[in-house]
Amino acid sequence: MNTFKQLLNKRNSVDTAKQRLRFVLIHDRAEIPPGMLDMIKDDIIAVISRRVPIDRASVSVSIDSAGQENRLLVDIPLLAEERRNKPDSAKRKL
Amino acid sequence: MQAVVVTITSGKGGVGKTTCTANVGCALAVLQKKVAVVDGDIGLRNLDIVMGLENRIVYDSVDFIEGRCRLRQALIRDKRAPELYLLPTAQTRDKSAISTAQMVQLCDELRKEFDYIVIDSPAGIEQGFHTCLAPADKVLIVTNPEVSSVRDADRVIGLVESQEKGPAQLIINRLVTARVKKQEMLSMEDIVEVLSTDVIGVVPEDEMILMSTNRGQPVALNGKGPAASAFHHIARRLIGEDVPLQVQQSNTSLFQRLFGRG
Repeated sequence: MNTFKQLLNKRNSVDTAKQRLRFVLIHDRAEIPPGMLDMIKDDIIAVISRRVPIDRASVSVSIDSAGQENRLLVDIPLLAEERRNKPDSAKRKL
Repeated sequence: MQAVVVTITSGKGGVGKTTCTANVGCALAVLQKKVAVVDGDIGLRNLDIVMGLENRIVYDSVDFIEGRCRLRQALIRDKRAPELYLLPTAQTRDKSAISTAQMVQLCDELRKEFDYIVIDSPAGIEQGFHTCLAPADKVLIVTNPEVSSVRDADRVIGLVESQEKGPAQLIINRLVTARVKKQEMLSMEDIVEVLSTDVIGVVPEDEMILMSTNRGQPVALNGKGPAASAFHHIARRLIGEDVPLQVQQSNTSLFQRLFGRG
């Protein structure tokens, strides 16, 4: 099983390289280190959840770069009605 | 005459800038162009030894800048091609020995005499790089099919654009076709996709390069093999010929081929 996995890994090393390059270049170009996105995400969660209940675990913050233009993409799913009424389940995600 | 100044640089060191400069210069000279190859890496002189002209240096570019010789005296004629000259740099000085303005002035002097001036620039983003970028009409960035040099190439592509010297073009150096086929190595298409930058040539891994560097005989002068022909293709694209981009089979040792590394 292990050797099988290794074979798969080997075959896909170029795809992994491309994926990692894309990621790192987006951050290099925008001059925002990946760790800072996590901090921004925490700040956004804190601010928004003061007003509306949100699905904290599913919040995503990423950089989208098209040519010379970079933009911050923030996706914040609001908590569904039925889950809002069960504060326990929402809280557990904290 | 009004020469075109081609600066060859990279983000990461050790990717083959000097080899590419020597061979692109030689290939242009083989095409009957009058060429000066200029070592822009002050203090780390290398173009002379790769070209095999290290024994003939009397004066260098810093001597000219500081008024100790005329430009003609610093230029070394390479008799293996019709009109090929090397302008060596100083080995014992640092980057501050030639300012950006002085480099532009030096190239303006050379422009009158040559068709092409090919500058071997230091890697990365230090002062020496900006000095070699300033006179450039065209910038070629050397990268290997490997993550760290591709990442660093992106940084330099950005810098070239911000200095309004773009768009730069890529030389992908040391590609091993068999490893690309086995999806162990980034292909030309992969690199183009990630960097969104045009490629001027792909130089396959070729064991002739090491031997030709050992001897001081650039492969593009009279050598055969995939790297030599890649450099000739790059030269023909530089002079405006429409040569289709094709990646040639790399030339590695029997041992490497037997073990699937070539």
